[in-house]
Amino acid sequence: MSFEIKQLSVIYKDGSHSIQALEEVTIAIAPGKCLALVGESGSGKTTLGKACMGLLPSNSAKEGEISVNGRRIDNLKESALNEIRWDKIAMVFQNGAVNLNPVHRIIDQVAEPLIQRRLSGRVEANLKAKEALKQMGVTEEHLYRYPHKLSGGQTQRVLLAMAMILDPEIIILDEPTASLDALSKVFVSGVIAQFKSVGKAVLLITHDLEMAAGLADTVSVLYLGQVLETLPANDLLFKPLHPYTLALGRSYPTMTTARDLGGIKGDAFYRLVHQHGRHDQDKYKHTHIQIPDSSHKDGHAPPAGCLFQSRCTQAIDRCKNEKVFLNEIGDHSIRCLRNGIADILELKCVSKRYGDVIALQPTDLTLKCGEVFCLVGETGSGKTTLAMISAGMRNQDSGTRTFEARDMDQWAKREYRSIARRIGVIYQNPAESISPRFSVFEAVAEPLKIHKTIRTGESIENRVSRVLAQVRLSTDPLFLKRYPHELNMGAIQRVCIARALILKPSLLVADEPTSSLDPSVQAKVLKLLLDLQIELGLTMLFITHNIGLARKIGDRIGVMLAGRLVEVGPANMVLSAPRHPYTRLLIDSVRGLVKNPFKPGSELAKSAGCPFVPRCPRLKDICCKTPPEMVNVDHCQVRCHFPLTIDRLYES
Amino acid sequence: MNANSIHFTPRRLGLIITFSLAALAMIYLSYSLPRLLPGDFVTAMYASSPVTLSAEQEAELRAFYTQPPDFYNYLVKLVKFDWGYSYAFLTPVSALFLEALPWTLLLLGTAHIISISIGFIAGVEASWRQDSRIEKGFVGGMTLLEGIPEISTGVILLVIFALNLQWFPAAGAETAYAKVSFWAWVADVCHHLALPLATLVLAYIPGNFLLARNSMIMVIKAPFITTARAKGLPSRRIRYAHAARNALLPLVTRFGLRLAFMITGVLVVERIHSYPGLGTLLFNAIQARDLPVIQAVVLISSLMVLAIILALELVYRIIDPRIEYER
Repeated sequence: MSFEIKQLSVIYKDGSHSIQALEEVTIAIAPGKCLALVGESGSGKTTLGKACMGLLPSNSAKEGEISVNGRRIDNLKESALNEIRWDKIAMVFQNGAVNLNPVHRIIDQVAEPLIQRRLSGRVEANLKAKEALKQMGVTEEHLYRYPHKLSGGQTQRVLLAMAMILDPEIIILDEPTASLDALSKVFVSGVIAQFKSVGKAVLLITHDLEMAAGLADTVSVLYLGQVLETLPANDLLFKPLHPYTLALGRSYPTMTTARDLGGIKGDAFYRLVHQHGRHDQDKYKHTHIQIPDSSHKDGHAPPAGCLFQSRCTQAIDRCKNEKVFLNEIGDHSIRCLRNGIADILELKCVSKRYGDVIALQPTDLTLKCGEVFCLVGETGSGKTTLAMISAGMRNQDSGTRTFEARDMDQWAKREYRSIARRIGVIYQNPAESISPRFSVFEAVAEPLKIHKTIRTGESIENRVSRVLAQVRLSTDPLFLKRYPHELNMGAIQRVCIARALILKPSLLVADEPTSSLDPSVQAKVLKLLLDLQIELGLTMLFITHNIGLARKIGDRIGVMLAGRLVEVGPANMVLSAPRHPYTRLLIDSVRGLVKNPFKPGSELAKSAGCPFVPRCPRLKDICCKTPPEMVNVDHCQVRCHFPLTIDRLYES
Repeated sequence: MNANSIHFTPRRLGLIITFSLAALAMIYLSYSLPRLLPGDFVTAMYASSPVTLSAEQEAELRAFYTQPPDFYNYLVKLVKFDWGYSYAFLTPVSALFLEALPWTLLLLGTAHIISISIGFIAGVEASWRQDSRIEKGFVGGMTLLEGIPEISTGVILLVIFALNLQWFPAAGAETAYAKVSFWAWVADVCHHLALPLATLVLAYIPGNFLLARNSMIMVIKAPFITTARAKGLPSRRIRYAHAARNALLPLVTRFGLRLAFMITGVLVVERIHSYPGLGTLLFNAIQARDLPVIQAVVLISSLMVLAIILALELVYRIIDPRIEYER
């Protein structure tokens, strides 16, 4: 039995204005399949579930179609709806125990639909209920208890048993594991997988991305009532196309997530629908996102563009004004004007040599909007060169650079200043990167004066104190007059960060920003950088030799060796299961497992083959002759003839 | 369920001790408070009569009709169920009491059963149709009715149905000295009951209705009602088995307290309709300063409050399984 929702919109009327809870949501679930609906709270997930059951409150209005096996059910009368409810579509509501009547024993509540529909007598119904409850793992002693005597996990089992009592064809589960411990979660997941295997269509409403990826076939991402992306479940965690999906994944704690949780900048609020006057109100009807500091009473602000725009890390002017429609890209369908996550910077085959020293072999590097990319590697591996080329501070010998979809070299030649405004740089040694003759104020205000980007009605002092507050520095006039030698290292580094941020860049290149700081100051500065990255939606290229640090902050990691990127991939994968033996060596040496990382006197290093040959434990003939190409392994790219796989990793 | 079997746990023992102490305090108050009434039986008896008493006679009478201040004796008599003789009626207090009690029970019991049933059902149905015109009309009407005291409803009913239309008798509980068959007697009792009953029912319905509606409105919003709807249950089943069942608790409390204050509750109505119940008995006894009767009525009505509160504690647990003594 297939389940289809077409163009479903729901509006809640609340006094003078209305709240748009769902807008043109279209999903379809075939028998034996599971569709997961994910999104932040307030995105309309539960409203959708209730709409399917015909349980929307009386102050709501809905448009669109909901159909079961081709038969429309959204316009049915209550009595006809009652025939379908629980018999064809059953729902497991969220929050467990509150969904059970406190004054009836649980077995009676489970048996109730059977008795009330006269499908079986009281005794037989009780037997069936007992059977269903036992199948869900509710023990005999709990059968006759009242709901308040059950634990959260048991309540969830009761709700599942209750939903299954009439053997429905479609099951809607609303946050079935939200309040459960890990073991109960596994049990519930097993039950859902079993529903699928017996041919039920499952609509899984959850904010648990890992469960969605594990159980569902398709995932729809809901934001403020709009589907922003529908994608195959396998791609949810590793290959999302919409920036919102990526951001959700980054906020979700998994056992494999290496970096600290990111969150998404800003907050989602309600969408209010404004109506002007009685006649031709359709013409003037529009929605906008209610944010706390704009009360927006009469509704003249145009919300026409993308709903996620204000929180997106890659929003451009078009996003504000152009209406966005769902767009098919491969097996994804996304609602994004920029066709999904955009690349902010793309380096192709860039190389650099200083005299006869080859600092950078031809290298490709792509930075996605809003991500933190960490470059790690031993000293002299070309990290800083690559970073400076990315920042536009140095020019490459060959290859092309594209920044924000424009050719960077031409752009820089024509108007270097405007590109410098878009890229902020934090240098390796904070004390040396500020002139000792500049006070704090002068140092931070200098970029503003050079670029003359002060808007009318805004003073330089205001801008400076705002950015200093952002980096949690004092805005006291006395502090502004201080000179670098009067400050500690942490404060100097914050001044450098403030200076890099004052022009509101979209890309921040940070070259070992914390290596000269002691650990406690380093922790604070890093936390600050990450907070700012979320708050401002920055993309960050972070260079460090400290792998532990890269693990804490990077979304992706690139490992450099002798002027080449030898491994690129999601931070958790690169660090937990390195594919390149060099990466492995780096990690092992951090762990103190390596005694002698250098093998001196080996001339093989200059050979035509792989630069890792002198130190490679798994050397083969081909390695010395042919340099390896980048190959894709799982979600990573590795430059190795014999990349380690997970199996081999455990062997060695 | 072992929760229903009787165990003398510390908590229950504590409950019993508390109630016993409260009962003792009430016995003392029933003994001491009526004595504080100004005036006494002798003054009340002869104040309005043409008989003049000499000082000697008066002192003699007073000595006869005054209880010696002896609480211990009072208590002993009480334990023996000896409530003494009424000064005014010259019959045992217990006989007076037993004569009046059935009438009050009949009047009050029927009034409560009818008003609770009607008020509850109306409340449930109105709350289910929240914000409809019917519901708004009901709430408005009931609030208005709640504002009219029973003394005026009683008088109005009396004037219309007993004096003008003469459909119902104006006083009494049965036709005196009529020797009739049992069923004719029942009809006669019902006929006499009609007006006081109607007065009480009209007075009690609005409270029950508003209470039922309010607690229903709270319950209807609960998620388990949504679950019940999702299960495709018939609407009546959801209203009564799921919603109303949970809205019952405040109503039972109200019923209990009303019952507890039954004598003062029916006093006004019994007086207006001259109905020979406990209210009338108390009223007459107070007028005549008939100390033994006053003491007995006060004592029994206060003990009744205790008994009903205790009974409520037990009934609550049946209505709402979440209420349970810790073990």
